[in-house]
Amino acid sequence: MKPNLKTMALASGIILASAGTVDAADPIKIGVLTPLSGTYTVIGQQVKWGLELAAREINASGGVLGRQLVLTYEDSEANPAVATQKAEKLFQVEKVDFLTGTVSSGATLAVGQVAERNDTLMATTVSFSSAITGSKCSPNVFRVNAHAGMQAAALAAWLKQDRASAKVYFMGPDYEMGRNTVAVFKTAATSSGFDEAGEVYAPLGNKDYSNFFGQVRAARPDVIYTSMAGNDAVRLFTQMQEYGVSKGVQVVGSAGTVTPANIEAMGESAEGFVTGVGYSPLIDSAENKAFVEAFRKASEGTDPDLYGADSYGLLFLYKAAAEKAGSIETDKLRKSLEGTEWQTPQGTKKMRAGDHQAEMPMYAVRVENGSFTIASKVPGGDAIGKDDCERF
Amino acid sequence: MEQIIDYIQFVLASQMLNGLAIGAAVIMMALGLTIIFGLLDVINMAHGEFYAIGGFVLMALLGLGVNFWVCIALVPALLLPFGYAIERTLIQPIFHKGDRHILTLLLTFGLSIIFQDLLKIIFGPNPLRPENLLPGGSEIFGIFMPNYRLFLIVAGGAIVAAVWALIYKTNFGAMVRSAAFDKNMAGSLGVPVRLIYAGTFALGISLAGLSGVLLAPIYTVFPTMGHDFILMAFTVVIVGGLGSITGAVLAGILLTQIQAIASLYISPVWTEPLIFGIMVMVLVVKPQGLFGKFGHG
Repeated sequence: MKPNLKTMALASGIILASAGTVDAADPIKIGVLTPLSGTYTVIGQQVKWGLELAAREINASGGVLGRQLVLTYEDSEANPAVATQKAEKLFQVEKVDFLTGTVSSGATLAVGQVAERNDTLMATTVSFSSAITGSKCSPNVFRVNAHAGMQAAALAAWLKQDRASAKVYFMGPDYEMGRNTVAVFKTAATSSGFDEAGEVYAPLGNKDYSNFFGQVRAARPDVIYTSMAGNDAVRLFTQMQEYGVSKGVQVVGSAGTVTPANIEAMGESAEGFVTGVGYSPLIDSAENKAFVEAFRKASEGTDPDLYGADSYGLLFLYKAAAEKAGSIETDKLRKSLEGTEWQTPQGTKKMRAGDHQAEMPMYAVRVENGSFTIASKVPGGDAIGKDDCERF
Repeated sequence: MEQIIDYIQFVLASQMLNGLAIGAAVIMMALGLTIIFGLLDVINMAHGEFYAIGGFVLMALLGLGVNFWVCIALVPALLLPFGYAIERTLIQPIFHKGDRHILTLLLTFGLSIIFQDLLKIIFGPNPLRPENLLPGGSEIFGIFMPNYRLFLIVAGGAIVAAVWALIYKTNFGAMVRSAAFDKNMAGSLGVPVRLIYAGTFALGISLAGLSGVLLAPIYTVFPTMGHDFILMAFTVVIVGGLGSITGAVLAGILLTQIQAIASLYISPVWTEPLIFGIMVMVLVVKPQGLFGKFGHG
């Protein structure tokens, strides 16, 4: 994966020489539909860095099937209506060969339908909702990141090990991802023997949670689970600390709640937070260490989080599947993607054929002194859960 | 009877006090907006972005080592010439055309988009947060309240009083009110109307910047933060009466109290449609708001 001078010189020579010809030098267009504005901009930025780093490395070592990867960006604003319009534009005007980058689960589901209509494949590297590879699965949609069920399994396993029983209060943003993530953890938690103390949902982008704390306090929970993300999570945590709501309470949440993008703004209020993730920059492997360093250089100092790492891994899956099939034509590529195993900074991932969900080892991580440490590990087979997809 | 007192003390009062803190924040935003609309007749769609600029200038100054308390005075002072320049160079040229409202609305809307992206480019999309210099909370009559929110209530009150004194008790304020009442007459009496216009716009947006500074420790600073309060600020201004300071304050307190108390009985999410419903009713029944026009309120 690391480029060396000879290969780069050779590749540039070939590109320059074939500048006049059409077929082999035609770049493969990857459409990236991701939030470049709004409350999830921080996530879109990680996606962008991960994809660009992978594209650079792949292009430097010859591209995919001899063709260079070109990324075309559109701002999805984390809004399914906007995302479908921009997806149509990417498919029909820009004629992209593959689409990725969708963050909001609502957007991924909506864009998946657009992809089906345009007979093109897409993959999400961020969306958590189990429905994407479950009840609402699509033959044209793939997911390389861990979904809510897998994260919940890892987190519930850690929590069970930490305490035998507890009252859990659930809070989340009021849309597909927020509600689904909470529902999934609730199932994992209640089946591990924990009690539900109550739940409440706030609108995406909510700035003041103090109106919600009355209900939370009345329930007297031992554990608070939240699926907030991005800036909403920063405000929730700092306000919980302000009001003393999180005192004496174990705060846990989804993998997207506390990430390198917002942990600095959270400061002390994030101490002790535990979550289940598919990636941590601390994973002790040579591949991950190399990836983290390259990412830091490309992002001017920011560590990769799960979004950056999963986005990075996606393009290598694309390369592996395309080269196995010898083509990027939709049906051939789909067959090739199903069942492919490929190397990522997290280890080996396998794309499950039954529902297009990637299987991977999971970790429970805790915030200590402003950064994450790994608390425990769950093997991929245990975490991936049932194949709920009935469509194909 | 004891149960009712208990309820009032521990649930209702704490919710109302919290609503007051939020109200202080909203009123600070609405003040600038009502002044600008009341005098200049300019619908400032970029008001939220000046709030954001205030927050980011604060972060920049904190990064340079300036004390937070100094910034509370320094940031609005820095924004004054900025607002003055924008008014003179951008708004005044289009001001005297017939469809002023549409033109200024479009202009300020464009400014808001430009500012948002500029902030994102200069500062990055990640949220920033200045340290809260008044951490912890205190018990007031049995109600637990974070110290910083109590400070906000006091600061909000002080700012409203200061602005009111400025508009109603100083020469500058008299000139502002006369220019709002009758521009041509005031001009022929020697009031430097163009200067007053620019100065008032500067005052309005520096109030927005000041809110950005004061609210940054609890609401964080990020490029699209302007959207947080702008809808609520416009609602308060409309319900209170365009141009009326008393109206903005009273409507601000009223609407945030309604929101806070309603949150006890219905999901907090539904309190926003409730507030907008009230705004619609006010527009239907009394379109000039509860307290009418500037120069009279």
